[in-house]
Amino acid sequence: MGRWNPSRIPRAIGCLIAILTLSLALLANETPSINTTENNTSGTDTTVSESPDNTSNAPPNPQRPDTQRPDTQRPVSFINEVVPILTKAGCNAGTCHAKAGNGQNGFALSLLGFEPKEDYTHIALEGRGRRIFVSSPDHSLLLMKASNRLPHRGGLRLAPDSEDYKLIAQWIAQGLKYDGETASKLVSLEVQPQRGILPRNSRQQLKTIATYSDQQVRDVTNIALYESNDSSMATVDHNGLVQTQDIPGKVSIMVRFQGRVVVFDASVPQGSPVDNLPPSKNFIDDAVFANLKELGIPPSTICDDSTFIRRVSLDIAGRLPTAEEVSQFQQDTSSTRRDQVVERLLTSSEYADFFANKWTAMLKNRRDDASDMISNFAFYSWVRDNLLSNKPYDDMVRELLAATGTVIANPPVAWYKRVKDPKQQLEDVAQLFLGVRMQCAQCHHHPFERWSQDDYYSMAAFFSQVGRKPTATRGEDMIFHKRGVAGYANAKTGVVQRPTPLGSTSVTITADEDPRLRLADWMSAPENPFFARSLVNRYWKHFFKRGLIEPEDDIRDSNPPSNPQLLMALEKHFIQSDFNLKELVRVITTSQTYQLSTVPNEFNANDMQNYSHYYPRRLQAEVLLDSLDDLLGLRTDFPNLPSGTRAIALPDNSYNNASPFLRVFGRPENESVCECERIQSSSLAQSLHLMNSGDVKGKLANGSNRVNQWLQTGKASQEIIVELYRIAFAREPNEKELTTALAYVNEPKLDANGTPIDPPRILRENFHDLIWALVNSKEFLFNH
Amino acid sequence: MLFNRFQLNSLKRPSSLCLFIVCLSLAMEMTALAQSVCLPLPRLLTITPMGGRAGTTFDVTIAGENQDDVSEFLIDHPGIKVTAKLNETGTPVPNTFSVSIAENAPAGLVEARTFSRLGISSARIFSISNLPEVTRNQTNTTREQALALMVPVICNASLTNRAIDYYSFQAVAGKRYNIHCSSRGIDSKMEPVITICDAQGRDLVVERKGAPLDFIAKQDGLHYIKLHDLTFRGGIEFFYRLTLQELAADAPQPTFLATRPIRSFSWPPTGLAENPATFEDETANVQTITLPADIAGRFFPAADVDVFEFSAQAGETWWIEIASDRFGLNTDPAMLIQKASGEGEQRQWVDVLELADISSPVKTSSNGYAYDGPPFDGGSTDILGKFEVKESGSYRLSLNDLFGGTRKEPLNKYRLLIRRAQPDFAVAAWGLHAELRNGDRNALSKPAALRAGGTIAFEVVTVRRDGFDGEIELALKGLPTGVTATGLKIPAGKMRSIVLLTAAENAVAGWSQVEFVAKSKLGDQEVVRPVQIGQMAWPIVDSWGEIPHPRLVHGFAVSVTSSEAAPLTLSARENRVWEVKQGEKLQLPLQLKTRMEFSGAVVNWKTWGAGFENHPAFNINLSEPLPETTLDTKTLNVPAGEYTIAFYGVAVPKFRYDPNSVIKAQEDIKQAEAQAAALAEDLKKVQESLAATAAENKAAVEQQIAELNGKKQLADMALQNATSKLKTVSDRAAPRDTAEIVISEPVSIRVLP
Repeated sequence: MGRWNPSRIPRAIGCLIAILTLSLALLANETPSINTTENNTSGTDTTVSESPDNTSNAPPNPQRPDTQRPDTQRPVSFINEVVPILTKAGCNAGTCHAKAGNGQNGFALSLLGFEPKEDYTHIALEGRGRRIFVSSPDHSLLLMKASNRLPHRGGLRLAPDSEDYKLIAQWIAQGLKYDGETASKLVSLEVQPQRGILPRNSRQQLKTIATYSDQQVRDVTNIALYESNDSSMATVDHNGLVQTQDIPGKVSIMVRFQGRVVVFDASVPQGSPVDNLPPSKNFIDDAVFANLKELGIPPSTICDDSTFIRRVSLDIAGRLPTAEEVSQFQQDTSSTRRDQVVERLLTSSEYADFFANKWTAMLKNRRDDASDMISNFAFYSWVRDNLLSNKPYDDMVRELLAATGTVIANPPVAWYKRVKDPKQQLEDVAQLFLGVRMQCAQCHHHPFERWSQDDYYSMAAFFSQVGRKPTATRGEDMIFHKRGVAGYANAKTGVVQRPTPLGSTSVTITADEDPRLRLADWMSAPENPFFARSLVNRYWKHFFKRGLIEPEDDIRDSNPPSNPQLLMALEKHFIQSDFNLKELVRVITTSQTYQLSTVPNEFNANDMQNYSHYYPRRLQAEVLLDSLDDLLGLRTDFPNLPSGTRAIALPDNSYNNASPFLRVFGRPENESVCECERIQSSSLAQSLHLMNSGDVKGKLANGSNRVNQWLQTGKASQEIIVELYRIAFAREPNEKELTTALAYVNEPKLDANGTPIDPPRILRENFHDLIWALVNSKEFLFNH
Repeated sequence: MLFNRFQLNSLKRPSSLCLFIVCLSLAMEMTALAQSVCLPLPRLLTITPMGGRAGTTFDVTIAGENQDDVSEFLIDHPGIKVTAKLNETGTPVPNTFSVSIAENAPAGLVEARTFSRLGISSARIFSISNLPEVTRNQTNTTREQALALMVPVICNASLTNRAIDYYSFQAVAGKRYNIHCSSRGIDSKMEPVITICDAQGRDLVVERKGAPLDFIAKQDGLHYIKLHDLTFRGGIEFFYRLTLQELAADAPQPTFLATRPIRSFSWPPTGLAENPATFEDETANVQTITLPADIAGRFFPAADVDVFEFSAQAGETWWIEIASDRFGLNTDPAMLIQKASGEGEQRQWVDVLELADISSPVKTSSNGYAYDGPPFDGGSTDILGKFEVKESGSYRLSLNDLFGGTRKEPLNKYRLLIRRAQPDFAVAAWGLHAELRNGDRNALSKPAALRAGGTIAFEVVTVRRDGFDGEIELALKGLPTGVTATGLKIPAGKMRSIVLLTAAENAVAGWSQVEFVAKSKLGDQEVVRPVQIGQMAWPIVDSWGEIPHPRLVHGFAVSVTSSEAAPLTLSARENRVWEVKQGEKLQLPLQLKTRMEFSGAVVNWKTWGAGFENHPAFNINLSEPLPETTLDTKTLNVPAGEYTIAFYGVAVPKFRYDPNSVIKAQEDIKQAEAQAAALAEDLKKVQESLAATAAENKAAVEQQIAELNGKKQLADMALQNATSKLKTVSDRAAPRDTAEIVISEPVSIRVLP
């Protein structure tokens, strides 16, 4: 199964899983209260780096006063101290007392303390104050449970001798003061150091400093929350101690405190010599090779021609190169022959088919009813034709976002048939076109991000004036701009939010203007921080298996790119090219980086994020089915479509029903805006399907397949084998392969009675075995 | 009780409930499948080829639904002559006709109908062109099979299911080629997709919205045109006329005529000048105009807002009408009037009036599970409304297309009229649709083809203009002998009426072109407006699965057939005016004549006719020939006056399609058998005589045997065909439950004061 992604599942469940994941991560950490190593709090004496590099031992700023000293007289702040302690202890995690519904066993807290006023009510006032015992704080139910002195399903969260426990007890003893209106506000959060170069297998202590509106500066290292974006490269404990692993690269530690997020970026160099870099061909190579040099990871060599033409054909056109294309390419001696292949593929119809297949899945072109057929075909075709004509990406998105009319007259209207609710519209648009996941912010402040509920509803307001009129077509509406001032009420506060682009100030939109056009204007503005970045990152992942930001649709401050310079350069290039998608594909596929070999050298095998070599990946379901058909010279028959239609040109998900092959290999059902709905991992079912399934066996036995036809015309076995290798692998068999294959196809066989089988039948069956073996090889199943 | 117990149990056991629902659904499904909807009506569906060039003569083949023994193929154009196509023996070839188009016939769309056993058919478009035409007569579903076209040309063809039609032509670099596929606009079911490919078959440009494709060749040589339906459907219903022509670089886009949608019946207003008084100034942010105004403009570029500024005086009333959607375009005009408030920099524009959408005169189908309105929408997204000026001053009228936010279509034009009141009306009519069974979603063409003794209903609607509120009289001139019309009035202030056409039981088969008009008084002047007829381009039995395409047709043909009689006739027992005193009850004696068996013993009748529509529904047992109903003028609160009413309901006759054809087929068999037997006897005799024949005569006898053998084979074949035909017509004539709207003959009532 693929990795978890919240966008594949309904919002409530998605949020719940996100929160559960976060909570489990919190609970998995040893709680700070149990750890009584109090000298961590200052941060000055806790750096235990084994690195000789001073960078990783950089001491926190000694000038900053540490206000968190034991002082029983000092008033304890509920907002700035009690709530963060509860958060750190995991009490208000989604799996515990912030669980949707009524918390845990009747005691509810707001998720991660985002609603402190409600928390105060629950702690201090609810149940006639039964959770608190002011005259004897230690006997408060809150602390008895948290310290596990009374049975507590969550176990020990605060040790009685811990500083955090004492602070809460002190707050109780001081009379449970709620300082929501008077507490100083957190104005900034800083992690020290902000970035560093850490050797492999080394440690780095982080220090987290909070600055408040009253100028107070607190060291909150041990009550902040830490999370690594790649635990295979670096882990971090609950006190901010980073431990790098053996894998080199870039890793980030997210630090969260009181709704703010800061990030520590680390480079973990390998330090190997990088002497023989291929000559740089464009800015992509400049950025990738510079990064590899910095990390000391030498890239692999450039792949051979056969590998290139197969790789680039699969990536651009979603198909294997034909035997003729392979032959022509092999005979071409010009220095630009690889660039010419890219050009040819970009002008092919298959380019448009393949990328339309990719986009329409994310745009939910799903058939739930027979009457969806016309709109699904129209919408798919609209996407496909735009890709064919290379319409600028921003124009395409604009036409989709602000679509009006009927599906037949204006096919992008079909998107509004699938995505009806303004909230769903904003979520899909944010995730798909901006790479920002807004789902969580509908109900609470996004735990990893800066997006609040107001941000959420301000974005929803852009879709608040989408009007609908009925049509004669079942389930279809005419979409129009409904005159009126756009706004959407925050479900919690009831305050109507005006359209506001993410991270920007609200815009004044008159009643006559369609707010969606203004949203499109904002998105396609060169200074937009998300739009171009999201697309180039998505396309980068298409060609390199891993996005510069991963997952590709989760762009946030706390999830930095593995190569920021490269991402920025790609973004700039894309904007300057007028959002030219073909140019983006061109610049990527003609780079030396794209053309690096899959075969690692002795230094870069561990690298999985810096593109030191090409990362192989299994062919996606449709491409694999087409490849099998190409190899055999057949076409799978799909209902209602002309004979010869390729699987990559299927307009919607309905064809999955009739094709076990597509289902087993993970063709999505177009239910999610996330590409992760497509299952790209391998499974036993896939292996069994290739080995035993009726449709694969049927294709092999089909009298019309090219091998059976060749055998009937008496084509020589050697020629057939060479041709099969050309189609399957874009190369000819080497001597050993040819000898082995020839020996096998000519091997005599006996039937069940021990009678020799007649030679033509033997030859046919042995060739079927050979094809089966080729198809089941990794070289066939993977793009490499 | 058993059912109650079952319910209780099933509530406790969801699986039982599910099973019950599944069984119930299956039972309902089976019932639904077993029942047809509407008695068969003749429908002309295809004409091959679908048109021709002026000055040519060619053969056409027709096909349709419920068309037996077509005796006439009618094309409503004086320049077109149709004759029956005869075979070499001088016998008419079924469903084939020779068509001659006069040299001077203008290019355009005309309509064709047939007259056959069941009467006049629905209409089908036939095109006249002034370009060379070909009819595809070979398979062209692969690039290798592409049909080569010479430029210019119109190719008539129909699509193959799940296939692409390929054409090729030689292009010259730099030349402009215009390719258009007429389909929906000429009654085809095809949603055309045109793709131009280079010589290697690579897609170059695609057009999917039915618009002409302008293509400027980048290189000399072979190019391909790929043509298919959006969802790759095909068959004879998916016909098209592909036009390929070369145009000068600066030539305007040619016009390709198309049928008019129902909604366009209310456009243009009578007497509107063909050309507008002025045009939109596309360079101006605000265009100053004076009222009245007649302006042509377009919604272009995307998100275009056209603003017109004018002065108006308090007390004035202006009527504003905007047409764009009614041109057949996919637009939705929206209009806002604002008044200037303040001066100089303080000047602001304050909203005064918003207008949008002309409402449909009747509630149209929501395409829900059950029938809730006709599938004909007489409304429009265009605008028609009143602007009453409350204060003198400067005003701005802003006009934009609610569908035009991102669409850059320069042909999306509009016409804006601001006028003083010119009260008027437009009228349209269509065969009545009603709920025939639970969940009925049919959208059928309903030609005015009456059965003897039957009554059919047409729904008539009006769009009233500029405050016109008067009564509208309807008149039908030239009805066939034996056919009468009733209910010829749209009451004052109302938008809808029902017109009944009734065929006498002894009416003689025939048809006529009827003049259907609407009259009213505008002031002192009587005006006459045509009633435009709507029909479905295709009969659709389930509009969930296929989108209905209603359109306006030319003219109104009415027919009556004597080959079949209506299933029943309900009428007043005497043909007279029934009198009743106001506030009293009228015991109305009726008579019912049934001519078929029915499923169900009882029909529930409701009442049409102003004053009596609230008469409670009543049942009539179909075995009761002399039923009655009592009309209570007191309860109904009917004032004194003259009234015409009718009763209507749904009956399910066990309809047999053309049972006479079975008798005829049986006779044909007998005749064929006799002929075969006679030949066999002759053959036997001659064969027996062979042995005794002298050698010199044997050859002649053998020759005779051979000839008789040949005749015998033909006779056997004829017998086989006759047997086969008997089976076909017998299957067709088997009784079939068919839900039908049944309507009584009209009844005249006089309510005395």
